[in-house]
Amino acid sequence: MTIPKKVSQEIIKKLVELKDTSELMLDLAYSALLLNSKELAEEVEQLEEHMDDLHTEFELLVLSSGFSPKESKDFLGLIRLGVVTEKIADAAAQIAEVVLRGLKPHPILKMVIEEAEETVTRVQVTENSPLVGKTLREAEIPEKTGMWVLVIRRGNKWIRPRPNTKIQAGDILIASGYAEGEEDLTKLATMQTQN
Amino acid sequence: MTEFEKIEYKPVSVRELLTEMKDTSELMIDLAYSAALFHSKELAEEVLELESYIDTLVYLLNMNAMLAARDAEDAEALVSVTVVANATDKISDAAADMATIVLRNIGIHPLIREAFQKVEEHLTRVKVKPSSFFVDKTVGELKLAPRIGVDVIAIRRGKKWILDPEEDEVIREGDVLIARGAPAGIEEFEEAAEGKIEKLEEE
Repeated sequence: MTIPKKVSQEIIKKLVELKDTSELMLDLAYSALLLNSKELAEEVEQLEEHMDDLHTEFELLVLSSGFSPKESKDFLGLIRLGVVTEKIADAAAQIAEVVLRGLKPHPILKMVIEEAEETVTRVQVTENSPLVGKTLREAEIPEKTGMWVLVIRRGNKWIRPRPNTKIQAGDILIASGYAEGEEDLTKLATMQTQN
Repeated sequence: MTEFEKIEYKPVSVRELLTEMKDTSELMIDLAYSAALFHSKELAEEVLELESYIDTLVYLLNMNAMLAARDAEDAEALVSVTVVANATDKISDAAADMATIVLRNIGIHPLIREAFQKVEEHLTRVKVKPSSFFVDKTVGELKLAPRIGVDVIAIRRGKKWILDPEEDEVIREGDVLIARGAPAGIEEFEEAAEGKIEKLEEE
């Protein structure tokens, strides 16, 4: 590789952020529709602005990295990949815009996103909840409550749930499932550890 | 010149169409990234085929949504559906762009591969060894998603591709599985497919 190591590391870092952000945005956008949540939709909007900046920085970085003419095809591939993530982010913003424009999402959308007549709820995990310190897999939330965690809000960060994501006190869980599960989840997230 | 398929109105439920579009567009992103990562022109071709499929669906969806609106109120409610449908179309276009990079030999910079080691969602391609406990099990029965957070997005069996395999698809020895998931899950998945472990952690 002819470009400096420091530059290539920076390109990688930006590309990773572009890809992860675009996918997070898509998850958030669908969740915003499902919840008819302006708050989530605004989050998508903000991330879209962040993506625009990030994408520009990424392109400038790639273009100024000092590659040789022989490498130009490979670098074009990099640029195009950046454009792909940007397009996905645009699509997510377009979805979120439905909510921001005050259009009530059609019931069909809810059915399509969740494929069932389900409810979406948010609950904050209290310090004494048995969920604290457990990974999502260990917590067995779907088994215990019938609710699925869609996203986790930690401070001002949104986290996509993974089996090995650890739940912390103060996390806000946004989950969907049948109405009966809502109460169970709230109990689980806010109740004291039994015995 | 590309030859376009003639589109004719067909009564299909908007809900079914949109579900198909949403699922397919998301699958396409993963397939397109996989095509780049694993230098697979075949997979890239599959992505392009799905893209033209989505193009047809978006026409059908728009026509059916138009017919469903009887008054202004209906139109206002239905426009959210068509906006989302068009967004899934945009996503599929983005995936097709990615596939085109692979097909036109534009070049997959080594940095792309490095970056893919660091993203949240990992992709893998692994061949099922005869000794793997995956052999002769259905995709659904393995419960990969709830147990280790891994989704099989495609199976290559000889020359045949099975995209987004159904729950009852039986895995055979020699199948090449393309899957995505969180890094730890993906690692476990690879070990299982290669017959290095006898069961998943959570069994």
